[in-house]
Amino acid sequence: MLKYVLKRIGMALLTLLIITFLLFFLVRVMPGNPFPSERMSAEQIANKRAEMGLDDPILTQFVRYMGNVLQGDFGKGTSLYNGAPIKTVLSTAISNSFRIGGAAIVLGTLVGLLLGITAALNKGKFLDGFCTVFSILGVCVPSYVFLIFLQYTFSFKIPFFPYFFDPTRFAFSAVIPSLSLSLFTMSTIARFTRNEMVEVFDSDYVRLAEAKGMYGRKLVLKHVLRNALIPIVTVLAPLVVDLLTGALVVEKIYGINGIGKLMVDAIAGEGIDYNYVLALGILYSALYIGIMLVVDLLYGVLDPRIRVSAKGEEA
Amino acid sequence: MKKLFCMLLALVMLASCAVSAVAEEKYLGVMLSTNVMSLDTNLATDGESFEVIADCIDGLMQMDADGAAIPAIAESYDLSDDGTVYTFHLRDAKWSNGAAVTAKDFEFAWKRIAKEAGEYAYLLDTSVGCVKNADAIIYEGADPDTLGVKAIDDKTFEVTLEVPVSFFPSLMYFPTFYPINEEFYNSLEEGTYGTSPETFLCNGAFVLEDYTPGTATLSVKKNADYWDADRVKLDGIKYQVVGSSDNALTAYRTGALDLVTISGNQVAAAQKDASLSQSLKVTGAGYMWYLSFSQTEKNAQNGKLANANLRLAITNAIDRDNLVDNYVMDGSLATYTAVPPQFAASSTTGEDFSADQDAFLDYVGYDPEKALEYFETAKAELGVDSFEFTMIYGNNEGDEVAKVAQAIKEDVEDALPGLVINLQPMTKAERLDKMQNDNYDVALTRWGPDYADPMTYLGMWITDNSNNYGFWSNAEYDQLIKDCTIGAYITDYDARWAALFEAETLVMQEAVIAPLYTKANANLITSGVAGVEFHPVALNRVYKNATIE
Repeated sequence: MLKYVLKRIGMALLTLLIITFLLFFLVRVMPGNPFPSERMSAEQIANKRAEMGLDDPILTQFVRYMGNVLQGDFGKGTSLYNGAPIKTVLSTAISNSFRIGGAAIVLGTLVGLLLGITAALNKGKFLDGFCTVFSILGVCVPSYVFLIFLQYTFSFKIPFFPYFFDPTRFAFSAVIPSLSLSLFTMSTIARFTRNEMVEVFDSDYVRLAEAKGMYGRKLVLKHVLRNALIPIVTVLAPLVVDLLTGALVVEKIYGINGIGKLMVDAIAGEGIDYNYVLALGILYSALYIGIMLVVDLLYGVLDPRIRVSAKGEEA
Repeated sequence: MKKLFCMLLALVMLASCAVSAVAEEKYLGVMLSTNVMSLDTNLATDGESFEVIADCIDGLMQMDADGAAIPAIAESYDLSDDGTVYTFHLRDAKWSNGAAVTAKDFEFAWKRIAKEAGEYAYLLDTSVGCVKNADAIIYEGADPDTLGVKAIDDKTFEVTLEVPVSFFPSLMYFPTFYPINEEFYNSLEEGTYGTSPETFLCNGAFVLEDYTPGTATLSVKKNADYWDADRVKLDGIKYQVVGSSDNALTAYRTGALDLVTISGNQVAAAQKDASLSQSLKVTGAGYMWYLSFSQTEKNAQNGKLANANLRLAITNAIDRDNLVDNYVMDGSLATYTAVPPQFAASSTTGEDFSADQDAFLDYVGYDPEKALEYFETAKAELGVDSFEFTMIYGNNEGDEVAKVAQAIKEDVEDALPGLVINLQPMTKAERLDKMQNDNYDVALTRWGPDYADPMTYLGMWITDNSNNYGFWSNAEYDQLIKDCTIGAYITDYDARWAALFEAETLVMQEAVIAPLYTKANANLITSGVAGVEFHPVALNRVYKNATIE
């Protein structure tokens, strides 16, 4: 098991390194200037480029960059929030996006599971139909539409929540964006849980368990839900990354200083900010790879057979 | 028991007093269209940043309601007889850490601007401010200590210029010339100046209260130690970055914001709405949209746009009234001069440099017949019957830009049969990149005034200027601009003014650019809010005199 885990981690780190190099190269061939300026002379811009070491061979630049990154230094922006270290700007954005996204995931997963289980237990009845309609709606309606609806209703018509995100009242002003972001997760989880559970209910081992006289909560939790969880964990992983890395439109509309908004600013601002695009690219990739790794390892916990087959592969 | 009850009652009353006192704080809720990029005067490049910096820091001079320069930290100044040495006498003012604002703070900040050679360092060089030795420091890396600025004592700041600059005092309200306390600056970790309220010293009407780089909300609160504190009536300003104008309008309606900018197509709706039409205020945004034509051989079918008649044909085919009335719709002004109106007035006559929009009607206007005549001449001169050009524009520079581009295409193609314009949208970053690398035919672009003198526009079209995107070159023009900057006209204000007009005439005669419209902002201001001063140049909004009922 340990060897398997180490191998997985090694692969993940290698993937991340390759992605970083590709990003490092690609961002330099994108159209747009890292020092967008209509007032600086060509010499001034050349000096700025030289200061940032942008004229060195790309491999030299990459090695230097990786050296700095490993020490936790992502450099400074070239055009975006210039002056402030990227670390400072990024940490605020991460904290905002992660907390709001995190709340959305927890809420979405819990309610989604609950809805899915309810629907599966009431298969073919009214509650099942209700949950199905709800999930379809939730998947179809984009989160920002729901956000605008909530913002309009609960900040404008009934002015209870703040109209814009207010970092000084974090929890209070995170309600509307978290709720609207959770809708998609909620619906997806509900749909998958219901379908998986219905399938598992029909399987031989559940029938056997029922025949042995098992029923009720114990049956559902121990046999049905646990087996239904495997595919759900697979769906949940990319959802988690999506939500943690910020929902761009929601952040923009609700005025949240988060990662999604930062990414757009870095690419579509006045210029193209190499260092921000890279730092955010590394963050996105690391999260995705990291969560996939966790999912792989979780499979082993949920279903020992996966662990066994992985071992077999090694042999 | 009774005693306890009384005490409780008193407590509750006290608490409610405290609550109502908080509620009565008069913070103005103001919309920002984009994030504040930096509070460091060396790094800030956008209007939003300049506005917040100016809330918190006073320079030697400040803007009055009409945009004229009036004393701020400088109580008065003397000018030497030859017009090249300014001696500013500073008043007693304090930084927010209690230190006195001294001439050294200015000396330090100005030298730093020259040394770092950032975006706005050019305001010190011989194209604008003409501070002694600035060119050598900015462009050749000379010792910053050779800059012509000197703190004679704590209260006297002397600036030596290469040549007299008539509008020099009005430069002093621009943030590039603001002071920074050296001791405080040096006590900070490198790169952290201006990144939080703790790392930003203020001497202005407000102090920074809440800010982190990249934030969508920030606030400033009244500075009790401000030298002119009695004048400031607001308790503070709460800024909110709002991404879309639809959202801005709703936020305004909820009362979340007191001052918002709405888009052109919302203006018509707002005018019909009784509750909103009262609150609508159109102010000049300063910058002018225009068409730039690349005249080099490698573009526009081997340099076809180097032909002046072809450019004149295009500029006369565009219906600018139609553009502002039906597409921009926010009160922007159709513009027929190379220097837009509203920002540069003569200091002797007080007249706006571009008040007369009919001055160049011979060369620019909406006249399809004349356009066709120019077009026929151009065709004969070039020996070609049909043209196909690509026009680039930014798709992230405002809702109206794509519509304006489309309207220009239609106007030009209708008036000039045989000329085809293909539209190519891209991000602003890409558009600038293409223009700076001379890789375009026609570009829909804009320029905002940095200082209150026509030179902020006319300086662009001299040979080899980096903003001369068309690569137009005219020796007579270059000489005129030189004479107005460092030569014959610098001491004779009216002669310089006339020479500037002459230079502008050359630009218009040859349609070096096709001016389109001068942008306005359609603002909604909550009733009861008064005294916010709007300027098309330098600082777009000033709140020192603002009040809330």
